[in-house]
Amino acid sequence: MKSRFQKTPSKRNLATAAGLIFWFSLIFGRLIQLQVFQHEKLKNEAIEQNRYIREIWPTRGSILDCQGKILARSLPVPSLFLAREKNEASEHLFEKINALQSIIPLSGRELQRIRNRIENGDRFIWIKRKISWEDLERVKQAKISGIFAQTESKRFYPLGAHLAHVLGGVDIDDRGLAGLEYKYNDYLQGKKGRVLILRDAFSRKYDLQVIEPSQPGCDLILTIDSHLQYIMERELEKAVLENQASWGTVILSRPSTGEILAMASFPDYDPNDFPPADPSAQVNRAIQENFEPGSAFKVVLAAAALELKPECLQNVYDCSTGYVSLGGLTIRDHKRFSLLSFPEVFIHSSNVGAIQVAFELGQDNFYVWIKKFGFGEKTGIDLPGEEAGILRPPRFWTIHTLPHLAIGYEISVTAIQLLQVINVIANQGVLMPSRILKAVAGQEGLQPLSAPSPVRVMSSFVARELTENILAQVVDLGTGKAAALDFFPAAGKTGTAQKYDPWLKTYSSFRHRSLFVGFVPVDKPALSMVVVLDEPRAGRYYGGEVAAPVFREIARRALLYLGESPRRTPRKLILASKENLRSQNRP
Amino acid sequence: MVKKKRSKLEIFLILLGLAIALSCLTFYIWYQTELIRLGLENQKAREEIKRLEEEIKSLEATRSSLLSPDRVEKMAREYLHLIEPDSNQLIYEDWLTGLKK
Repeated sequence: MKSRFQKTPSKRNLATAAGLIFWFSLIFGRLIQLQVFQHEKLKNEAIEQNRYIREIWPTRGSILDCQGKILARSLPVPSLFLAREKNEASEHLFEKINALQSIIPLSGRELQRIRNRIENGDRFIWIKRKISWEDLERVKQAKISGIFAQTESKRFYPLGAHLAHVLGGVDIDDRGLAGLEYKYNDYLQGKKGRVLILRDAFSRKYDLQVIEPSQPGCDLILTIDSHLQYIMERELEKAVLENQASWGTVILSRPSTGEILAMASFPDYDPNDFPPADPSAQVNRAIQENFEPGSAFKVVLAAAALELKPECLQNVYDCSTGYVSLGGLTIRDHKRFSLLSFPEVFIHSSNVGAIQVAFELGQDNFYVWIKKFGFGEKTGIDLPGEEAGILRPPRFWTIHTLPHLAIGYEISVTAIQLLQVINVIANQGVLMPSRILKAVAGQEGLQPLSAPSPVRVMSSFVARELTENILAQVVDLGTGKAAALDFFPAAGKTGTAQKYDPWLKTYSSFRHRSLFVGFVPVDKPALSMVVVLDEPRAGRYYGGEVAAPVFREIARRALLYLGESPRRTPRKLILASKENLRSQNRP
Repeated sequence: MVKKKRSKLEIFLILLGLAIALSCLTFYIWYQTELIRLGLENQKAREEIKRLEEEIKSLEATRSSLLSPDRVEKMAREYLHLIEPDSNQLIYEDWLTGLKK
């Protein structure tokens, strides 16, 4: 007998239960299919949808001057791109580009590139890279579908054209192409990293896991002082324009350390708009231009003669003819002299006297000393594209080579090589190799670079003799009077070289190069400088008339900026003080 | 089929178990939601830090540009009407002390 609690399930209930069991079995089966059999595939798909690995591009390091002023820095800027939807017609995309063109002007070349990419069926097309944030805002307001922005970084040179030849420039992808940007690209660019980004259902990033950390580029700290650079560039530009020269270059350095304080060439360019329209403006004339130095090279001859034949200091040279003829070659003085002592030959820059000194020295000795000063080889300054100059070995010399070399012909040098010669003399015979990079600041902090080892080139006695008896006298009494400063005794050597005319195959009487190399003050040189002006066409062309005044003006302002105390009181200046007046009035 | 009558203790324990399970589940969901919310906030803060750092760098570069010597000179000449002193207009402080000695 069945109790009242026992009940036989009805057929309807059984059917419902069976249906439910079947339904749950289906779901269960599907779950097993998804969770077990398709586990790996679906997991990967889910990961792809919710998380993605992104490459992190490091920020390019900055370039700073010795005072920490920014010379180059990378800043974020937007770049516009077009994302094509699946099966979107090319005509539709052209319409979008046309609409965009009214907001952002696109050049014919850019339009052609975009059209080609659209016709190729590309789904990602750059429209314009590195636009301004204001332009991006205007594009956003236009609400054109399929146009998006991505943040990139753009190199910014806040001082514009200043120091352009040293800094160089970068391409659209921020890779160094010239100057320090190229030379130290590996330091500056850093190392890219990877991060895993997790997104929620609304595609919002909610977590970021670093897989491989990115290393930002190191900052470069230069020996350059941007203020001195400015002073120098202004004076150089003024001199090039006033003298109607083809180009000019000046290098300013500290002889005791070999640090380059400023380096400029004119014409210049704006690295913000790299590469320049005129490729010749990109040439760093300070290290990339070979030229015959003319009489400025007599410094090397004087140094060699003093070192190897010290007795020549007592010699007297007959320069009364005003010219010297050798195997059909006639070399003249710029004016007629009589008998000149050894220092006077160089003070007045007599070619006739210098040739006599060169013959007294001998060609092998002279060649050894030219090599000793580093001519015909790169100085090793940390800038790319340095020229080595041209110096032929004695076996290729002709009868004219030695007299030509004595007066700075048949040899090609660079401005930086001439600067190193004057630095050796200023530094009591010791060469401190030139350098432009002072320190590197990375994640490990500031790492000063060790100064290159000094090399003794000549004795300190010869260096002192050269300075006091020749180079200082060149400025006080000789061809370099225009380089003289009121408050500081300076030393240096002028140079005027006739340029070789390849069409006439002879040296031109109309095309010259003007030079001045020197240092100041004589007792403890704070600055050394080389000035080169090519083809001055405004009437004057002697180094003493064209290049020496540039030296004077730059040195005057630079010494004032560096806080150097005056070494002498100019004769024309009368100083008065209350103290002096009182003592004079006292009975 | 006889329905067994449950004691109050049993019912209490079942309810307690359910409540604990529900609390755990709620906590877990809250924890997950909070984790994502904090992650979002954290991410926003990171982006803001990065943006501000970039802005500082940008402002420093602008400052450098504004203080460039040629601009300062232009301002001095054109707005303040200053001129460069001639070399014989310069009087060094140490002339009357240092040089005299």
